[in-house]
Amino acid sequence: MKKALVVLVLLMMMSTLVFAAGSKETAAEPAASKKIVIWTNLTADAQAKVLRKQFTEVAAEMGVEVEMVTISFNDMYTKLATAVESGNVPDIMHTNFAGTAYLYSQDIILNMDDVIDKIGKDDFISSYLHVLNAEGKTWGIPDWALHTSVWYRKDLFQEKGIKIPTDWAEFKAAAQKLNIDEDGDGKIDVYGFPVPLNAVQVAPQTYYEFLYSAGVTTFDPKTGKYTFGSQKKKAVEVTDYLIDLYKTVSPPSSIEWSWNEYRNALVEGTVAMTLDMGAVIGLAQNNNPEMVEKLGCFDLPGQFGNKPASFGSGYAFVVSNSGSATEIETKKEFIHRLYTSERAAERALSRPMFAFPSLYSALEIYKQSPSVALFQDQIATISDAFENSNWYWYGMEHGLSQMSSQIEATTFFGEALQSVALGMQTSVKAVDFIDQQLQEQISIIE
Amino acid sequence: MGNLRLIRQDRRFRPQQQTLGIIFIIPMVAFLLVFVVYPVLYNIFLSFTNARLIKKDYSFINFDNYKKIFTDLRFLTYVKNTVVWTVASVIGQLSLGLMIALMINRKSSGTGLRSFLLIPYVVPAVAIALVTKWVMNGDYGIISYWFQTLGLIEHRQSPLAIPGSAMAVLVIVNVWRSYPFPMLIYWATLKGIDKELYEAASVDGAGTIQSFLHITLPHLRDTTIVLVVLRIVWTATYFDLPWLITGGGPAGSTTHLPIMIYQASFGTFQTGYASSLSVILGLSLFLCVVFYVRKTISNDSGR
Repeated sequence: MKKALVVLVLLMMMSTLVFAAGSKETAAEPAASKKIVIWTNLTADAQAKVLRKQFTEVAAEMGVEVEMVTISFNDMYTKLATAVESGNVPDIMHTNFAGTAYLYSQDIILNMDDVIDKIGKDDFISSYLHVLNAEGKTWGIPDWALHTSVWYRKDLFQEKGIKIPTDWAEFKAAAQKLNIDEDGDGKIDVYGFPVPLNAVQVAPQTYYEFLYSAGVTTFDPKTGKYTFGSQKKKAVEVTDYLIDLYKTVSPPSSIEWSWNEYRNALVEGTVAMTLDMGAVIGLAQNNNPEMVEKLGCFDLPGQFGNKPASFGSGYAFVVSNSGSATEIETKKEFIHRLYTSERAAERALSRPMFAFPSLYSALEIYKQSPSVALFQDQIATISDAFENSNWYWYGMEHGLSQMSSQIEATTFFGEALQSVALGMQTSVKAVDFIDQQLQEQISIIE
Repeated sequence: MGNLRLIRQDRRFRPQQQTLGIIFIIPMVAFLLVFVVYPVLYNIFLSFTNARLIKKDYSFINFDNYKKIFTDLRFLTYVKNTVVWTVASVIGQLSLGLMIALMINRKSSGTGLRSFLLIPYVVPAVAIALVTKWVMNGDYGIISYWFQTLGLIEHRQSPLAIPGSAMAVLVIVNVWRSYPFPMLIYWATLKGIDKELYEAASVDGAGTIQSFLHITLPHLRDTTIVLVVLRIVWTATYFDLPWLITGGGPAGSTTHLPIMIYQASFGTFQTGYASSLSVILGLSLFLCVVFYVRKTISNDSGR
């Protein structure tokens, strides 16, 4: 009797555990039809606020319930990987192009060509659609894009009689002139150009702008073949130039700088130029309004003047392929309603000069906003780069590639470049190491 | 043994006690099976495969992951970093914890002071990391400014951007954050030492230092053994602070094994490789602890 009691209790406990684990899936099924779960990596207040507002509006129009979950960019791959592994991917994801590549590689998102046609394919800036292309299909709807430019102090350029540089030699000369000792104590107070090398994402972003400017790519943009290995000599030149800039015109601590540090440095006036995606404008508007009208931007010149490509990316809406046909249609309709010109412009304007809308009609609204009124020339420069030049996100030179998320989620670029900057390794060895790591990543993906 | 004999003699209650005992231990056994035994065994299993987070299928590759680890030159550097981080942190935590425990053991210290001293232990690691990065910033961080003014580092340099000092900063922050635990344990032990021992020593002419060396320290020996074991395990596997403050940089100088495991798992998505690193870390800690405890016990019995 006692034994039976023990066995009974054991069985009850085990069955509780089993059914508690299994009930998640069955309980989630009916909820999925009522509620649309959207993940976004945009955790900046202004952007998250606009997204939440628009999601609520569209949900009310359609009579559905929506839940927005913000996930910090640094946690994105950890969360995505575990979500994919557990099968709990969100209905819609608002993520960057690399995140889109990752989700595409997992075969869990829908191609969105039908929705793009419904919105009006001609209204999309074609290069935005190209980035999200694989197998002849578009796997996300581009929301906005960002472009890396050199943001600089117009007043200091004028004061020092510096013209916009047209090649790397001129660029270094300009940066050296902008190393300024304001109080004559023999110490540099304003550095010409910071080289931020924080290993978590920032180092590869800095490096790739220079690699692209010199014509080095991870993959051949036309064939998709791995090319970094055959361009190592050029990559060593790029590395040497970058490290030379670090040693001569960049604050010593910039080896550990991330986005906040280099943006703040320009806004607070302790550096004269920086590579950035335009986020410095929003920062200056909030923290140092006097600096806003002193800032301008130009495209980093090519090594010898001609620039093959530059570094850029953006955000897209992607839709998971889970759920019934009706649920999928609901999700697609939800996205479609987010793409009125006004809504697309409003989302991009939540981070002025950083985000550029994917629709031409939205770009016209964008240009007329008071928050970017001062920057019509800069908008023209960046729009021109988007429309008429090549721009890639690392590893996505041939379209969507999971290599991009592998680069983004690892720190080997930063480790290699920091080692060279600290004199712990030669640039040749660093480039060999990067090549070896990239090839290893390719083998992992394949 | 005595208790067992008593239970055997009192046969009237044995079946009831057995049933009740089994029922009581079922939740804990179930918990351990699900959350400890299964993950550990599964981790060991994965370490012999080429499992990846991004792919469902995998195959057995025998010891390939282990071979790869031991032929990776960076692995030795990361092991060295792990040892420096762990040993320096544990010594610092225990020393500071003991000093403060001795201080609060005096009659004059009040509850307010003791509560205040516990604050570092309850501050979230994220907050500590943000403040550390702020005060260490080469441009506006107060500590960097002091170091720059004293000529210890270059103008507009940060201790976090120099390999040796970055590790030193991490250790100091970790010691500050973790000393309250050894402090509490030491304080509880100090409370248990018979006051008469000190009085007798005083009568015999022993000074404060002699009393500390010959009465206090021997009484803290067992506590220290337990603390060293616990702190070694917790520190060697502590990921949050190093990752949030330096991300393993500059140039991998603060990358320790937990960061390497994280990178392998969520950076390059090599679950099998990350599992083998975890096995190595777990096994190393196990051997360290066994060696330390056995050595300490053998020293004790040799006396």
